[in-house]
Amino acid sequence: MHWKKLFSCELHSIFSNIPLLVTVFGGVFIYSFLYPLPYINQTPTKQNIAMINLDNSPISRKIARMVNATPQINISEQQFTIEQAKASVIKGDISGFLLIPENFYKDLLLAKSPHLVFAGNAAYFLVYGTIIEGLVRSASTVVAEVKVSKMVMSGENIALAASQYTPIGLNLKPTFNPSLGYINYIVPAVFILILHQTLLIAAGLLTAGQFEQKIQQQRLINRKKYYWLNFPAWQIIMVRSVIMLNIYLLLSCYYFGFSFDYYGISTNANLVELLRLTIPFLLSVIFLGIIIGLLIPRKELATLIVLLTSLPLVFCAGFIWPTTNIPAAINIVAQLFPSTPAINGFLRLNQMGDNFDNLVNIRAHLWLLTGFYGLLAISLLTIKQQNMLLPDTKSKHESLS
Amino acid sequence: MTLHQHIKQEWREITQSQWLKALLFWIPALLVIIIWGVFSKGIASNLAIGVIDHDNSVISRGLVRAYDATPSLEVAHHYHSIKTASLALKEGSIYGYVIIPEGLARDTLLGKSPQVTAFYNSQFILIGKLVSSALLAAHNTYVAQLDTLKDLVDSHGQLSQAIAQAVPISYQINPLFNANSHYGQFLVVAVIPAMWQILIIATLVIVTAAPMQNNQGNQWLINLTMTNLVKRLSLYLLIFWLQGITYLSVFYGALHWPMHGSWLLLILAQLLLVIACAGVATLLFFVTLDVTRAMSLVAGLTAPAFAFMGVTFPSTDMPVIAQWWRSLLPISHYITIQVQQVNYATPLTDSISAFIALSAFISCFYLSKVILHRRQTRSKPPTFNLSQTSVAQDTKRPE
Repeated sequence: MHWKKLFSCELHSIFSNIPLLVTVFGGVFIYSFLYPLPYINQTPTKQNIAMINLDNSPISRKIARMVNATPQINISEQQFTIEQAKASVIKGDISGFLLIPENFYKDLLLAKSPHLVFAGNAAYFLVYGTIIEGLVRSASTVVAEVKVSKMVMSGENIALAASQYTPIGLNLKPTFNPSLGYINYIVPAVFILILHQTLLIAAGLLTAGQFEQKIQQQRLINRKKYYWLNFPAWQIIMVRSVIMLNIYLLLSCYYFGFSFDYYGISTNANLVELLRLTIPFLLSVIFLGIIIGLLIPRKELATLIVLLTSLPLVFCAGFIWPTTNIPAAINIVAQLFPSTPAINGFLRLNQMGDNFDNLVNIRAHLWLLTGFYGLLAISLLTIKQQNMLLPDTKSKHESLS
Repeated sequence: MTLHQHIKQEWREITQSQWLKALLFWIPALLVIIIWGVFSKGIASNLAIGVIDHDNSVISRGLVRAYDATPSLEVAHHYHSIKTASLALKEGSIYGYVIIPEGLARDTLLGKSPQVTAFYNSQFILIGKLVSSALLAAHNTYVAQLDTLKDLVDSHGQLSQAIAQAVPISYQINPLFNANSHYGQFLVVAVIPAMWQILIIATLVIVTAAPMQNNQGNQWLINLTMTNLVKRLSLYLLIFWLQGITYLSVFYGALHWPMHGSWLLLILAQLLLVIACAGVATLLFFVTLDVTRAMSLVAGLTAPAFAFMGVTFPSTDMPVIAQWWRSLLPISHYITIQVQQVNYATPLTDSISAFIALSAFISCFYLSKVILHRRQTRSKPPTFNLSQTSVAQDTKRPE
């Protein structure tokens, strides 16, 4: 009877809390479409560049055609000086340029190793990388062709020449995300963080909201309405975490199932493995959220704190910037947030196809955080309950005497 | 109350509230230090890779040394089987591995052009790209050396001719505007404004709503005028503007990061940004009239803002809806101005559209005023009913 009552009270307070529901259901749903929106096109293509052709020979025109044929680059204008091209970059019309110097063809025939000049706007890294990749790729094709034709001219068999233009070839294979798409890069990691942040806010809002109301109306303490003061702390936390865990398991299914499928993200883990990693992740987040809720004086601060931690947590997670390059002090603090091991663990398990048994450290880390935050939440809640009760019992005694 | 009185009163509020003090002073400082700390190395170095050397010859060892010698890479492990190497890649302990086939030296000498295969982790795109381009550069340099050596024999010791034969066309790559390819300079100055926008809008929502927390919330709303609210917020706007100026002077002044443009324009853009954020904050508050709900909207609007800013992923490659959403965020217009000023020193005439877009957010104040007015007229009758002073006050209503 006791438990049943607590469950129904808790369910009622969760499903009547509009901001909480907006954050949990609205947030998770809206973000699942909003966040990937900028990256829908996966990779930047057809970056505009200028061509400065000072040579105007057959080979220079051929280079221009080959550059234009790469998916990365579109030659949108012709310029005659570097200054003009730079001015065009500043105006935002183009993002880079290719310069073929005077006497390029002549120098090539004279075996003087002429220079091509590539330039890209490095104020935007991805644009820069795309342009340079396209230019280098087409230039190396031209180099290979020149080498092969020279070998043929000096009497080699063309089939042999075509395979021998380089002494040792390098075959680069992108693994786990073969298309180098941005959706595959951002979505699996950021969606874990969205679950993490919305759940922190939800648990924080609920907990803080209850104790915020209490402060304002001290006299109504013994009413059944204020169940969070009348049940033992461990029971409240247990019920709260079970309900929130179930809500978030559903939402996780939506993300790992529908969303990943919708965006065509490859998934490697099976359901049981995923569940065994999701449970300690969600539990540790719920307990941390309750702790935040107990420490703040007003409920809206939960949203604020969680919002402000989002970007630092993304950059500490290790999927954007290598962990080995992050200062140790920041790394250690980041380990206290469940998102850091969780993002790492989910990417390894679901995207990179790591063996589940290999995730022993990650799971131990998450269970450790669960245990630690769980105990901390129970003790903080007990203290807070007592603090809330004290003035009222006093006034009772006073009224009795 | 005059502006002066408002500022005095709000200053008292700030000094009395631990939370406000934290939000206005030490939290922004802490966030900046963390983000700067994460990227303090600037250029990622010593990324761990593995090697499976089936050849173990002078040439293969030379190749491995060439990979190890690039500052970006570090050959951290030697594996004997592909299985162990691929496990290490999957668990993230290395970012890539290179397989050197058996007979590499022999095939090279015979001119059979052997293939070295490298797998790299492209799930982490940025790191993956660093690894692949570092591998490619190291490999090409080493191979060109081999080629030159071979050609040197053919050309009877003519070095320049041998080089030209090995490298018939060379190219020179010029990064414009960020000459040292400093990743920190690129990301830190974009992440900080994104966090700044969250901080400004969220804090101003809380400050705007503060009088609501008292018991006379309704009374406060009825007596509220936009002019008074703006006066009350002015001290906070000033503090946020100073935060922005401090951020600029720390990075482009004290740390000497290259800054080519006009400080005046940049600082003006910051003022416009702070005002724009205040406009958005008041609008979000008056739409909901509930601080927690307003904060949910703030979260929805500002949390993904970084993705839409167009710094990491070019805005021109975003779909139209994303570009449209992007233009609703004040920070996107500010970051355009910041990138233009810092990197290209764009004259005002060329970045005027971003300035106009930022100024357009001032209309949020007008919208808030309209909404406030509507709420006031709607909430008046019930309060009169509650106060039970029907006739006497009802006649006064037209005033």
